[in-house]
Amino acid sequence: MKVMLRGAIPRLIAGTAIIALSTAGLATGVASQAGASSKVTISVAYAANTTFDTTPLGLTWWTQVKKEFEKQYPNVTVNLDAVQGGEPDFLEKLALLYRSTSTAPTLAQFPSTEIALYQSTGYLASMDKYLATTSWFKEYPKVIQNEGKIGGKIYAVSSGENNVGLYYDKAILQKAGIALPWQPKTWADIISAAKKIKAAEPKIIPLWVDAGTSAGPNGAGYGILNLLAGSSTPTIETSSGKMVVSSKGLTQTLDFFHTVFADGLGAPTSQLFSPNNAPNIPSTDFFKGTLGIAVGANFLGGNWTKQVSFPYWAKASTAMGVAGLPKINGGGYASTLSGWDYGMSSTASSAQLTAAGEFMNVAQEQTNLIEAGNWAGWVPPVQSDWTVPLYTNFAAPFNEEFGKLLPSSSELPSNANYNVWVQGIEQASGDIALKPATTGAQALASMKGYVTNQLGASAVVSLP
Amino acid sequence: MVSTAVVDTVTGPPLQELWKTRHDKTRYQWSSLGLLTPTFALLIFLFLVPMGIAIYLGLTNLTLIGPTAVHSSFTGTANLIRLKGDTTFWSSLWVTGIFIVGSIIGVVVLGYTLASLLMRATAWMRVVVGGIVVISWMMPAVTAGMTWYASTTGNGTFGTLFGHPNANLLDAQPLLVVTLASIWSMTGFSMLVMGAALRNIPSEAIEAAIVENASTWQRFRMIVLPLLRPTMTAIVLLTGLLALANFSLIYIMTQGGPGNSTNILPLYSYQQAFTFNNLAYGALIGNVMVVIATVFGVFYVRITARRI
Repeated sequence: MKVMLRGAIPRLIAGTAIIALSTAGLATGVASQAGASSKVTISVAYAANTTFDTTPLGLTWWTQVKKEFEKQYPNVTVNLDAVQGGEPDFLEKLALLYRSTSTAPTLAQFPSTEIALYQSTGYLASMDKYLATTSWFKEYPKVIQNEGKIGGKIYAVSSGENNVGLYYDKAILQKAGIALPWQPKTWADIISAAKKIKAAEPKIIPLWVDAGTSAGPNGAGYGILNLLAGSSTPTIETSSGKMVVSSKGLTQTLDFFHTVFADGLGAPTSQLFSPNNAPNIPSTDFFKGTLGIAVGANFLGGNWTKQVSFPYWAKASTAMGVAGLPKINGGGYASTLSGWDYGMSSTASSAQLTAAGEFMNVAQEQTNLIEAGNWAGWVPPVQSDWTVPLYTNFAAPFNEEFGKLLPSSSELPSNANYNVWVQGIEQASGDIALKPATTGAQALASMKGYVTNQLGASAVVSLP
Repeated sequence: MVSTAVVDTVTGPPLQELWKTRHDKTRYQWSSLGLLTPTFALLIFLFLVPMGIAIYLGLTNLTLIGPTAVHSSFTGTANLIRLKGDTTFWSSLWVTGIFIVGSIIGVVVLGYTLASLLMRATAWMRVVVGGIVVISWMMPAVTAGMTWYASTTGNGTFGTLFGHPNANLLDAQPLLVVTLASIWSMTGFSMLVMGAALRNIPSEAIEAAIVENASTWQRFRMIVLPLLRPTMTAIVLLTGLLALANFSLIYIMTQGGPGNSTNILPLYSYQQAFTFNNLAYGALIGNVMVVIATVFGVFYVRITARRI
């Protein structure tokens, strides 16, 4: 009897709870149906742990925008869907959310390299109608406006951009006898400066450039692809959609890596291959005074602010310098451009899409847009914001400098084969970093073999 | 009554007839089908149906995202042909084999060594050492992976102990290090099982061998090893299956890298399905793993059945 009672009581409680929950669920369903004509609910999915520099900053920003929006539009309820995990986890979970119309977010924020994939699946609605009346979108530079344009229609809109340049420790360069402000004209100038640093300060890492696969597809966007962008053949994908697996530019880029690692100028693999946010490691190394130069993304400057504290470094603004990443033989700067974009669900109702459009308007309002830029480490896509004190003072002089460098940046491809291709080039750079005796040609052959094996010979091409 | 039975036996059907009669049939009851139904249902819905779907998925062009994410179709043997020519898959299969064999050898040898040493240890030593080893077995893969990552990279425990604090063992010998981590995480289980089996070996047999002047090696080879064989077989097969499915440990430590040097099949399947969005091809690689696991399973069932 005692045994029966032990089993019966939890069953009774569970049964009551199920009935209560079912009743509550029915009641909620009835209520929402009743209010459907006047009330609209939209869901907004975003990466909780990767876009903003810290998770609390992201939560603060999204909550602030939601509150502001719901105050302006009391008939609309916004459900924020903070998708947890690193960027690969986020992409996987977001793709799974879209697989069902009941879970597909009305509005989602995802990397620009994913736009074509989502659009080709039929998950994204055209946004032209909602952008036609906005003032902020007209202020986007053409290159950013076109980021989400496919077949003449806009399917995604940038909320912020990442570009890349050179950071350097002024004191270390001075000790190495390099004149300041330092602005290399060619890749050879970078190597020469790194060699001087090594000679003057043997214990210091002369040059950081991301290598290997640990940072996912974005790691290449903060490292090797910027060099490729400044090579003689920067093409990644041809106009016919084939991925380039051999070119003069790829050879030059991998040869540059070979020089860096064979001459002992690069960072150790324990840092480069760290699963713990490798592209952000230079901000800690610079703070410790153990790094001379870094090919780094715009967000490193913001890392030293009090709000981000990764780590907080009050003297960073005077101790550190920024320069454009030169092309191989001079003639300007090169950088990749990758952003995080908003996309609307094709399965959302017209009322939901209108509400999502209004939500974007609030999110893209100047203060919100600049705060997102500051806290997520983005250059705001609205050109006039690049000189606004709220942006420039947040991480001076870095924010302003990277705003100036943005026009010389170029977009990364967005297609299904890009992730495979980028895995191949990251493996090639990782091979060189791990075994510096690996030549550029050997690494390129390995990359070509890997990408061709994965995509098939018909999907790749070799350029002269 | 007793005498009748004896007479029946004596005057019963000839022996050849008795051989033809299946006596187990009399024990078979159709009503037992009802009792087996829940098991059949579970087998069908939790194993056969999902397996069938997984096999079908492996023969489609389904992607996680992209045009065929919504409208996928059956592509026949296309994925199988791709698999045949996929050099990364074959290299992954090879790496998986090394990882499994290395894990098995390490777990069996280390488990036996620890178990036999602990048999001779003092009580408190047995508790302390046994406790530490069992904790390492109970540790979640995430913690084990992070511990080994921190110990084998720059400024890690191993490098510091051997006087090279900046040595990066994980990147220098990735497959060896992840295999050692796998061995470390499973040895506790092997030690416990092996310890129990060692305690069951009759001491008389060992004592008799000592009286017969048998050396330590002879005692091990002629007495201990044959008596431990069933236990070792179970450990070998279970370790093999656990190593085959050991996704988390390697994902945390190396994500399959550098290059593809630690890219075991579960990681390659995941990479295809979720990094490259090829759900179907990822499922096909998963099916290959099921085949490998089935081989292990059949081997295990046959060996355990032989013992019965």
